[in-house]
Amino acid sequence: MKNLSKLIGASLLLIALSIPQSAIYAGPTLKVLGWGAKSGPLKSFGVNSEAALRSAVAEINSAGGVRMGDGSMAPMEVIGYEDSACKKDEAIAILRKTASTTDAIVGMGTTCSGVCQAMFGVLQKKVEDTSDSGVQMPILADTCIRPGLAKISEWSFRNVPNEITMYDELFKWIRTAYPNVKTFTGGSETDQGHSFITYTAIIVQMAVKHGFEWVGPAVPELGPKVKQGMKELQAAAKSQHWLMGDTNYTVQARKIKKQNADMVLVASHPFSACGFMKEMKRQRVKPKLLVGLTSSASQETLNGCMSAAEGIIIPTGFAPITPEAKKANSIVSKAGGFLDLHSSAAWENAYLVKRAVERAAIMGRPDTLQQDRRNFRNALASISSQKGLIGPLTRDGSTGEADKPYVYVQVVNGKWKVIHDPNS
Amino acid sequence: MDDFLYEVVEITQTIWDGVLFGSTYALIGIGFTLIFGAMGKLNMAYAGAAIAGAYVGLAVSMFFDAPIILVFAVSALVSTLMGYIVYQTCFRFIPTHNHLAALMASVGGLFLIDEVIVLATRGSPMNFPGLFEDAYFELGPFGIRGDLLFVFFIGIVSTVVLLYVLFKTRLGMATRAVAQQDVAAQLCGINIHRTNSITFSIAGLLGGIAGAMTAAAVGVLSPVMTVPLTIKGLIVTVIGGLGSIPGAIIAGLFVGAFENFFLYIRGIDERDMYVVALLFIFLVFRPNGIFSKTITRD
Repeated sequence: MKNLSKLIGASLLLIALSIPQSAIYAGPTLKVLGWGAKSGPLKSFGVNSEAALRSAVAEINSAGGVRMGDGSMAPMEVIGYEDSACKKDEAIAILRKTASTTDAIVGMGTTCSGVCQAMFGVLQKKVEDTSDSGVQMPILADTCIRPGLAKISEWSFRNVPNEITMYDELFKWIRTAYPNVKTFTGGSETDQGHSFITYTAIIVQMAVKHGFEWVGPAVPELGPKVKQGMKELQAAAKSQHWLMGDTNYTVQARKIKKQNADMVLVASHPFSACGFMKEMKRQRVKPKLLVGLTSSASQETLNGCMSAAEGIIIPTGFAPITPEAKKANSIVSKAGGFLDLHSSAAWENAYLVKRAVERAAIMGRPDTLQQDRRNFRNALASISSQKGLIGPLTRDGSTGEADKPYVYVQVVNGKWKVIHDPNS
Repeated sequence: MDDFLYEVVEITQTIWDGVLFGSTYALIGIGFTLIFGAMGKLNMAYAGAAIAGAYVGLAVSMFFDAPIILVFAVSALVSTLMGYIVYQTCFRFIPTHNHLAALMASVGGLFLIDEVIVLATRGSPMNFPGLFEDAYFELGPFGIRGDLLFVFFIGIVSTVVLLYVLFKTRLGMATRAVAQQDVAAQLCGINIHRTNSITFSIAGLLGGIAGAMTAAAVGVLSPVMTVPLTIKGLIVTVIGGLGSIPGAIIAGLFVGAFENFFLYIRGIDERDMYVVALLFIFLVFRPNGIFSKTITRD
């Protein structure tokens, strides 16, 4: 009988200890809901962002939580991280469901640029426009990086680096750091909005702007201005490009080999970037320099093709170069994710949400939900600077965008190494 | 004239690369057609099991620093086991006349395998070792990948061994008997479930080889490969003729060359369109495929 009592007591204690704090805590919690690609070719991005977000929220809660409008401290809670599967209709459905059936103060994510664009499009354009029946819920994105998306709606915000600035400065730097590099060509996956549009509208244009000669298929109107000759370049580019899930790159690699350029741009996410670079290596394609897409400055690229990617240079908004970045990197790794320029933004967003909530004096009650969301949105728009993981960043409330610090990383002996910090 | 010769060389090279890569499609197609020939059903979890086997092989390489041959062997053996499990869970207990239920069960199996892989790997692509991956022979203007030649060779060997098993062994005879008329086979004392289990296992073995070969040919393993391989396998199976092993082989090589050719001349946007158009043409004008028996009304 005694032993049975002890056993029951121990079991109850174990059960009590396993119940999450938020379930015991009787007051309001600050709820957020996330969504991203957790299936499909870009599933690793959603997995990493979720790990980063949950880890950051756990850190915030362990430091006391978030100050609510009544002065009390409340824990932040990630009430879910849905799978939008890089599909517009999925993301829009999640957004509508979140806005209408949950008490999440903000939606966080989502992975794909095309999805963000569609999702932002169903939001109310102007906050004060009562004739606009769009969804009224703040969205804070961490991964969809295509330029200019957040200005679609006053409810949409992003914490992504500016790729135009990054590649502009990168090629300007390459000009001096690699003076023997004169010509360039490249390839990209065409079924992913970010990589293809960034390649044709930004990366190629910036390379031309800084005097590199394009030796790919003829594009007579290609020039230094963004979008100049873009349609022609997109059409020409498709002849040596691939799809995200392709397994055979022999044709494309041969075409690149024939062009014999000094620099090859590989604007593709890790799986197809690795497949293509490995094919280039097999066919003895040895350019003087490889330049990659921001999204490939990640552990996934090293996992997939450490050797073939040797020497590739990529501008990125994250590297474990500060104590905060190293600590976050360690925490997220233990949580089953990797920190890169996208998932690090998810981490930063958790702290941005905390700051905005405290500035907006959120009440966190069911009857104040819509007003809380509006106040949160206004507070988020009013934040003009924030401490990021690798340095301070500034925010523009009118566009909802951030101006983030970045570094250039290169695969050296199978590891990412920071080779240049433009801010130092 | 130089431009013309250049194009001839490039197109020849493109087709040759496609044929070599198509041997992986042939192996996948053989697995699909073997099961269809035995049971008249499609196993949609087949390519997923093949990739899963490749992942286990890769894990052996990563944790035990195993030689590549062992990696391929483990991939094949694990896929063999998975083929057996898929049969037991998705086909054995479903009435033979209910084709849709078995099909949907195997689709569920494909998704389950996919999700397990994502969970285990965080969805990250992983480097897959290959044999002869640095071997590249240049014959004049042509280049030949040594690893693809090896894949092609393995594909031929696997096919020869399979044909020997099917036509020169009692097991093969039992498999063909069940495929022809399962009731009569049962009356002759052949255990249907045991025979089908072995058929699925053999198909799984081929799938494991195909999965490992494909991963080795690409150099990267990722869960994103399961669906495209499934689709290619189905296309090859239909074009070759449902239930025809020689058809699957020829169709696999042909589809590999065909898609590479159209990739070269029409670009990435139209490549898959032409492959699907090819499938459509076969479905309309030759639904029995290249080598299968003529389909007639009952």
